[in-house]
Formats: sequence, C-alpha cells, structure tokens
Amino acid sequence: MADGDRAALSQRLRAAVHYTVGCLCQEVGEDKGLEFSKQTIAAIAETTFRQCENFAADLALFAKHGKRTTVNTDDVKLLARRSKALLNFITEKCNELASSNAEQKEKRAVPTGKGKKKSDRHLEPMVTESEDVAID
Amino acid sequence: MERGEGAKFKKELVSKLLYFYFKDQKTKVSGDAVIIMSEMLKIFVIEAAARTARQASNEDARTADLDHFEKVLPQLLLDF
Repeated sequence: MADGDRAALSQRLRAAVHYTVGCLCQEVGEDKGLEFSKQTIAAIAETTFRQCENFAADLALFAKHGKRTTVNTDDVKLLARRSKALLNFITEKCNELASSNAEQKEKRAVPTGKGKKKSDRHLEPMVTESEDVAID
Repeated sequence: MERGEGAKFKKELVSKLLYFYFKDQKTKVSGDAVIIMSEMLKIFVIEAAARTARQASNEDARTADLDHFEKVLPQLLLDF
C-alpha cells in the first residue's frame, strides 16, 4: 500500500473510531450524569486507535504461535488474559456466539451456505468463516 | 455490556482496523473473532469513559476533562 493511501485510510479509520467513541461516551455520560469534553472524547478515541495496534500485533503473534494464519476466538481470549473480569466476560461472549452458531447451523442444514454471499462483499477480503455470522 | 447499550463498533470497522495494523499480509481474522474483538474494544472505551467519569466525580467536576482521563490512563493501559 502506498504511503498516501495508508495515511488516508488511517484518517478514515480514526474518524470512524472517534464517532463510535463519541456515541459510547455519550451513553456513559448520561448514565453517570456528567458530560465529556470534546478533548476527552478525542483522547479516548486516539488511545483506542493506538491500542488497536497492540491488539492486532498480539493477535497476529498468538495465531502464529498456534501455527495458524487466521486469528480465531481463542486468540482473542488470550488477549483478555490480564484482567479476570474481562476474561470471564469475553469467554461468556464466545460461548454465546458458539451456541448461536450451532443453532443456525442446525436451522439450515441445506448445502447452500458456502460462498453464497461472497459476491456482494465488494470490500477487501475481510472476514473468513463469515457464513455463520448474522450481519447487522 | 449488561444494560444492552446501542452504540458499538461495527464489524467492518474492527476488521479494517486489524488488517490496517497486521504486519504480515497473510494474517486473517475469523468472523467470530471480529465480533468478539468488537466487544473487547467496546469494553475498552466504556472502561476508559467510566473511569474518567469516576475520576471527574471524585473531583466534583461537572464535565469529564482531559486531565481526568490522563489520570486514569496508566491503570487502564495496564488492565488491557
């Protein structure tokens, strides 16, 4: 990827993260009865964006350590190892996801699943194994 | 989180963020991992916001300012 492209992409990603962080901060603010200053939201957004670099590097290494090229949920669990509460929460989410996937598989045991939706996915090759996932 | 909040990171954004930072082009992310990562990022942001809010209310401030966030940042980064 050219440097210019990467810079532009980084800008867009930053903006998207900033927007989501803004929404989340608003919710937390309403909950706690105070407001977040614009600088605080920007700082949290920037921190999140940078933190993603650590997350991505760790996930890639965890997958590599497991002799895989695809990051799976186990790698994410490993990412959450530092805090017990977080690990419990993530493990719970993983179990929920696994059981809902199993349910969906049972529902449509017809062999039409694989590669069906690939055509309308005009973006970069993002998600593999995405055929089990409901798109919201 | 437990109270079913609306805002969250879109899967598309999360996977683009990860692919943006992957050094090795061969690395991929499974769909399930993206969903869980989106939860993880959401917790990170909510945790940051909630800790900042608590710091602000400890200091009797009405708005959560940058210095409140700066005070909670080191511990936040140690927890993630």
